[in-house]
Amino acid sequence: MAHAFRRRPDSTLACRLDGEEKAILAQVAQETAELIRTDLGIETGNGSLRRAARSEDPLQRLEAEFAAREAREPSDSAVRRLFPAASEDPELAAEYRRLGQQDLAEAKLADLRTVMSILDGSGPGHGEVVIDEEQAVVVLRALNDVRIVLADRLGLERDGDFDTVRMLQQIGERVEGASPEDDEHVGSEVVIAVYELLSWLQESLLRALD
Amino acid sequence: MPAVLSQPRSAPGAATDVSPQERPTAEGPWATAVHNDPVNLMSYVVYVFRRHFAYSRPVAEALMTQVHEEGRAIVSRGSRERMETDVQAMHSYGLRATLERAGED
Repeated sequence: MAHAFRRRPDSTLACRLDGEEKAILAQVAQETAELIRTDLGIETGNGSLRRAARSEDPLQRLEAEFAAREAREPSDSAVRRLFPAASEDPELAAEYRRLGQQDLAEAKLADLRTVMSILDGSGPGHGEVVIDEEQAVVVLRALNDVRIVLADRLGLERDGDFDTVRMLQQIGERVEGASPEDDEHVGSEVVIAVYELLSWLQESLLRALD
Repeated sequence: MPAVLSQPRSAPGAATDVSPQERPTAEGPWATAVHNDPVNLMSYVVYVFRRHFAYSRPVAEALMTQVHEEGRAIVSRGSRERMETDVQAMHSYGLRATLERAGED
């Protein structure tokens, strides 16, 4: 059972999580990182680009140069939320992506890696997770990014949507029996629980920092 | 560090006690708008505004409330380069932000 973040006498911040909670947090952080990499083509894209950039064929080198400058538009709806258009003007938005998206993606991936290593460092079982102020900022950002992905999977689009989702869950909409989306519903219960855990942790960290 | 160095660059005086309506006075051809979304906690949005822009709590809370109630708020104004930095920072925190020409608001 999780215990909220609190400020310790040495000014670090600590919460308590059980082994399962740590494993779930590490898993959703890992999945979010994989989703970003896959959707934006970060690892594989770069490798082949680097090879093409060293190619003997001038045309291939030129193509590689163009590809490197052309930041890929996110295609996954959750990744679009993490990397939103920076302008309503499509030209300006595309230029902005070209200049900033790679750095933004690397920053988000670094945040997620930090959270995974903090969790790893705290050991596998029930125990305290201790972070300093600088790590707290990283943890807040990473928790938020994971929540954005989960919210997208839950179809949250407007204020109050999460309350509706939870209410529907409590009413037990699945009593209607085996619908084709049955598996999806079982999955969404887990997503709801993880989303609540992350929201609660983030809120408790914000309160402890205050 | 001298206090003056921690002042936000795009909204002079915002870190001290000024009322929200006095805040976005710094002139600049561009602005950063933050848009409402159902995910970000209100306390988190206030935290981000205070941390990135060094706004006082009342200013940060007023801007958060405006985002929440009106759907969006202009959170900084200045040169295009500075606004690009602000938009990028908002995106790094997971806030939906856009770069706008000042006066569009």
